[in-house]
Amino acid sequence: MNKRYVMVHDENKCIGCQACNVACRSENGVPEGVTRLQVRVEGPFGEMPNLHFKYHRVSCQQCEDAPCVKVCPTGAAYVGEDGIISIHTDKCVGCMYCVAACPYKVRFMNPETKAADKCNFCKDSRLARGEEPACVTVCPTDALVFGDANDPRSEVAIMLNTKITYQDKPHLGTKPRVYRVPTKRGGI
Amino acid sequence: MIELNRRTFLKGAGASSATCALASLLPGSLAALENKQLKGIGKDIASICEMCSTRCPISARVIEGKNVFISGNKAAKSFGGKVCARGGAGHSLLYDPQRIVKPLKRVGERGEGKWAEISWDEAYQLIAVNLNKIKKEHGPEAVAFSSKSGSQEKHLFHLATAFGSPNTFTHASTCPGGYEIAAKAIFGTKVKRDLSNSKYIINFGHNLYEGINMSETRGMMAAQMDKGAKLVVFEPRFSVVADKADEWYAIRPGTDVAVALALCHVLIEDNLYDKAFVTRYVEGFEAFAAEVKAYTPEWAETISDVPAKDIRRIAHEYAAKAPHAVVDFGHRATFTTEEFEMRRALYAANVLIGNIERKGGIYIGQKPGDYNKLAGEAVAPVLAKPGVKDMPKPAAKRIDQVEEQYAMMWTSGGVYQTILDATLSAVPYQLHGWVMSRTNPMQTMTDRARVVEALKKLDFIAVCDVYISETAAYADVILPESTYLERDEEIADKSGKNPAYYVRQRVVETLGDTKPSWQIFKDVGVAMGLGEFYPWENMETLQMLQVNRDTDLLRRIKNEGFVSFGKPIMLCEPKMVAEFIKAYPNARPADEDGTYASALTFKTPSGKIELTSAKVEAMAPGRGVIKFREVNLKKADELYFIQGKVAVHTNGATHNVPMLANLMSDNAVWVHPVTAGKLGISNGDPIRLTSSVGTEEGHALVTPGIRQDTVFAYMGFGSKNKELVRATGKGIHCGNLLPHVTAPVCGMTVHTTGVTLAKR
Repeated sequence: MNKRYVMVHDENKCIGCQACNVACRSENGVPEGVTRLQVRVEGPFGEMPNLHFKYHRVSCQQCEDAPCVKVCPTGAAYVGEDGIISIHTDKCVGCMYCVAACPYKVRFMNPETKAADKCNFCKDSRLARGEEPACVTVCPTDALVFGDANDPRSEVAIMLNTKITYQDKPHLGTKPRVYRVPTKRGGI
Repeated sequence: MIELNRRTFLKGAGASSATCALASLLPGSLAALENKQLKGIGKDIASICEMCSTRCPISARVIEGKNVFISGNKAAKSFGGKVCARGGAGHSLLYDPQRIVKPLKRVGERGEGKWAEISWDEAYQLIAVNLNKIKKEHGPEAVAFSSKSGSQEKHLFHLATAFGSPNTFTHASTCPGGYEIAAKAIFGTKVKRDLSNSKYIINFGHNLYEGINMSETRGMMAAQMDKGAKLVVFEPRFSVVADKADEWYAIRPGTDVAVALALCHVLIEDNLYDKAFVTRYVEGFEAFAAEVKAYTPEWAETISDVPAKDIRRIAHEYAAKAPHAVVDFGHRATFTTEEFEMRRALYAANVLIGNIERKGGIYIGQKPGDYNKLAGEAVAPVLAKPGVKDMPKPAAKRIDQVEEQYAMMWTSGGVYQTILDATLSAVPYQLHGWVMSRTNPMQTMTDRARVVEALKKLDFIAVCDVYISETAAYADVILPESTYLERDEEIADKSGKNPAYYVRQRVVETLGDTKPSWQIFKDVGVAMGLGEFYPWENMETLQMLQVNRDTDLLRRIKNEGFVSFGKPIMLCEPKMVAEFIKAYPNARPADEDGTYASALTFKTPSGKIELTSAKVEAMAPGRGVIKFREVNLKKADELYFIQGKVAVHTNGATHNVPMLANLMSDNAVWVHPVTAGKLGISNGDPIRLTSSVGTEEGHALVTPGIRQDTVFAYMGFGSKNKELVRATGKGIHCGNLLPHVTAPVCGMTVHTTGVTLAKR
């Protein structure tokens, strides 16, 4: 595993416009009613006039220590050679253990394939073609940066070294590979 | 390798079984497509988006003839290869089973929703017979023609002129007309803002982070986050742009003009303005300065609730960054009847710091011809304008030529809502027919009931659209246009600081029995016996005429989709001018100060920037000088009702697109917790809004992000025709609450009114 793909979501630049959500649906054929990725605009928090929104990316955190993989009885949820957590649809028996185990609540049963589903950084489609994930490709304000954190010259590595970032629920020890740049107004 | 199951894809696009069942009842809609496996790596086709009117350059990936993914075209640098949610959902419109793909004829009463499929020939004959009858009995001017701007507009208006009617309208007076007319009065032409290079941006509710205009949205974000620009926002609602601002002031609705004038007051009284620039380029400064003397920040505070000390400080901070600072002149919403004065006051705050043709300020832009003249060589090809010689001149006056004050609007899209006056009150004469292309006045004009009344009264209505929109629902004939992903159109000019062209081209084969609008209106013309005005065969011939038969150029524009020429230039930026001269040896020599400042001229009567305008004074006595006038937007016990844009929808156009409807199909009404508490309203409660013209029912979103005296809703929701299955009856219909009021000089419909709020 010489690659360490990570995603950085800059909440200062994110405007909650859902371009990522739509691009993800288009690229991955995500059925109506379920979602691999959305940005929740939460708030406003605070007191007038010092209000702020929170732009919260909700998608698979690509944990380095992934509970979904641990609980999967059939090996359908697996860690690929590239480190990306994916799903062997054919091996999934629909037990939903992974859906229950995910602390980020981002796994769902795909009503078409009847298998568990979630973001895999567009591993089989765009990444395989040498392209960036769909959400990163379209993000109007460049709020998303994706790349190999093990490559010190990559934009993500530079960002992680130079910006304050945080991860969702780090206390669970899952080591998420989605990093977030907190808004200067809201803090973490 | 991508492997997509056709049905999976369609379902992914939002065609649930429930909506399919309803859609199958809709005659003329796109039937469910066959189940087909899609395999292989797609090819990317460059084109132009049409999900809103920004028309971003796009790249559409097609696999086995099916469009599956849309991103931005990377060749267009300022757009960054990006696309918004609406643009990304274009294929969802393309494959929407509810899209109309057969011409339809009304068989019930108008608006009753009874339709029969007909052939194109039948549709053309119906239109030809009815319009020619009106022409014979009442004259050609008794038919109005209105269209979305762009290619559709050109072809529909060509038909109107050939037919003999002067009454052509765009949506300008319901959307961007205010800032365009104000710019015409001051600069003699439209202007652009250079947000990406700005160091200080003052924004009066131009919500670029929800009403996305890709290059401007990206430019402002880059300026803010990467280059450290300061953003100050005045807006009654805590929008996304307010959230991203360094300072946000919840200004009282409709009082922007007071704050803008107070900023000008401080700039002049505190000697912060660019005297050299004003002396050289500005006409009527003294009269303006005399007028704004009274508009102190303290005075503005009493009107706007913005603290005087902040107005003063912001004016000083803004001037300190001059000329690389800008007051954004805004976009759609016409907050009050003083729209013209408000936009002019915003421009004045720019003129005073001399930011014209400066980085981070305001610029006019370079069209190919002017650019080549500056460069002394043919850097950019100049496209020909294919047209027909000796087009007939309509004999009648336009219906909006009742009052001289709107003269500037007659050539800028017209005062759209005068169609209602002419239809209902025969002012200045009776209209009998209306032909529309991709326009939805039921949503975008004010006082919906009046629009319905007008539509019911007309003898004949033809509408060209992709859905049975709320307006199309009242048509006699509906002409189904191909979506933009199925159309070829003329090469369009997309010049900014240097010349650029781009082109819309078909991405997939046409689905169903639809046609591009250039074809539709050519065919209608021929059916009406106007064939002599259509000497060209098709879009290929038109494109070939545009490029003067330079096939290499045409091929290049089509392959790359977006082609820019030369180096960017702003006339008053010494560094850019130096680089320009270095690149083009025969270029115009620089002035002594190293700029092209001597080339900066304005198409106003005086040739200068007219802060005070004799022309406007003649058109509308008393309005030559920019002035504050009190307006009354609501009664004492009412709340201000304001609207805005949302990132996932475009005004009155996209609410039935499956993917976008799934993201948002309702517009909850923003209510402040204190206001809600007094009325016993909790978050999510059913509520009713009542204005002087209508009542709307929706739900409350109780949030601190709105003033206590104001309620807000995103516009475009709450359609009332049953054909728009996913959108109908969901949320507040804004046009149904806004009374019919026209703002002086610019002729805009006004978007603020008073409402009462009640729990239901």
